[in-house]
Amino acid sequence: MEEIIRNKEYRLYILDGHGTCCSDDPRPVPSALTHPLRGGAMSSPQSSSMTIPKHIVVERDACIDMVLLVMPGVSCDVKLDVRLAGEGAEANIYGAYVCGSQERVKISVDMHHDLPHCNSRQLFKGIAGGTSRVDFYGKIIVAQDAQRTEAYQENHNILLTDGAKVDTKPQLEIYADDVKCSHGATIGRLNEEEQFYMRSRGISLEDAKVLQMISFIAPVLENIPEPDREAVAAQFEDAIRNIVRNI
Amino acid sequence: MNDILLKIEGLRASVEDKEILKGVDLVIRKGEIHAVMGPNGAGKSTLSAVLAGKPQFTVTAGSIEFLGQDLLAMSPEERAWAGIFLSFQYPVEIPGVTITNFMKTAVNAHRAGKGLEPLKAGDFLKLMREKMAFVQMKPEFAKREVNVGFSGGEKKRNEIFQMAMLDPTLAILDETDSGLDVDALRIVANGVNALHTPEKAAIVITHYQRLLDYIVPDVVHVLKDGKIVKTAGKELVAEIEEKGYDNL
Repeated sequence: MEEIIRNKEYRLYILDGHGTCCSDDPRPVPSALTHPLRGGAMSSPQSSSMTIPKHIVVERDACIDMVLLVMPGVSCDVKLDVRLAGEGAEANIYGAYVCGSQERVKISVDMHHDLPHCNSRQLFKGIAGGTSRVDFYGKIIVAQDAQRTEAYQENHNILLTDGAKVDTKPQLEIYADDVKCSHGATIGRLNEEEQFYMRSRGISLEDAKVLQMISFIAPVLENIPEPDREAVAAQFEDAIRNIVRNI
Repeated sequence: MNDILLKIEGLRASVEDKEILKGVDLVIRKGEIHAVMGPNGAGKSTLSAVLAGKPQFTVTAGSIEFLGQDLLAMSPEERAWAGIFLSFQYPVEIPGVTITNFMKTAVNAHRAGKGLEPLKAGDFLKLMREKMAFVQMKPEFAKREVNVGFSGGEKKRNEIFQMAMLDPTLAILDETDSGLDVDALRIVANGVNALHTPEKAAIVITHYQRLLDYIVPDVVHVLKDGKIVKTAGKELVAEIEEKGYDNL
């Protein structure tokens, strides 16, 4: 499936429910993308046949803002191929995943900069608990003609358990010489010094962990416009609290 | 006597199998301010961390009673609810968590511990504004992430602000004077003095005399190599300043 972006577009994809989603799969994603948020309907209507496009082409001066959220219990294999195919095109892809049991989350993004003056930003943040497994693969490809490119990619992860596993492979392929590109990937654990500081102020260990995890994910959720953001944040908080209780 | 707030007996504590506290005895009564002085590495910060319940420290012997309760059986958060507050030597940065959100969670956790309802949003903000003004923190700090990008003085003022919000019975100030200029030192000391009442007590841990010019202790202890080697009145501060720790 290919989607062509000609203007400024915003997409929010929420993978929840306990199904499996795969962007290669021609069938609509089961319930995942259409699940109504608690506390109100989505402001951007999404039909039941809507699935995450595998190919996104962004034309001249157009812009796509995409937020992809993978809720606990969801295994998925999302492959995104974004092509900035006109001068001045822009793509901002944000993603968050929270895994607390045996999920298998695979996300792969190819970001193609074909022409000059295009910008892209990717920020993926995730939490892996239980015996979940996360694979993140991200590549920025800057063609020889794509001078004045700005392309950034970040993937940050928190491991909650010894049984969880995260594999992250950020890659840059740059053929132009006048570009600003960076990528970064981290895998860490919840900071115990922060936890003790919060507990010394009377915040329970459970609340401290929930606060840490919410604040970790927040930079992704900030890209969701209101009124959806509040509902999404509440959904994440509930999901995260559930996971913390079961660590 | 039932005016005893804190009673430490034979306290030994280790970190990673290294013994730091080697038998500390200390009794603090209501209304008293105790200074704990000592050279670097004497165990001053370990004592404060053990009182607050830092998990990395293992208590190997001895007991701590706080208002008649067995403190060592309590989690750090339970100790906070019971009225213990530690002002950190190095306050921790918590990226992504605003001071407002942090304090709201903390204040409401204390209230829940006492069986009270969460504070109404308006009442909470009013309390925040009042206590921030008390330590001369600008109102915009409420929206800042906890300690992130704060100067040394701002971090310490933030500690005293939190102390004012939580109104503890026993305040432990761990090297609160380190990294402070004279103005910030005065603000912090005035804050501590203003919060002190005959029902409360404070432990002021410091290396230098400076802070004790502003917060005047009733009792001064010297901690050396994990033990309290000398206890006297406030005149001991001048003696230490003159002779140093080696000659005690």
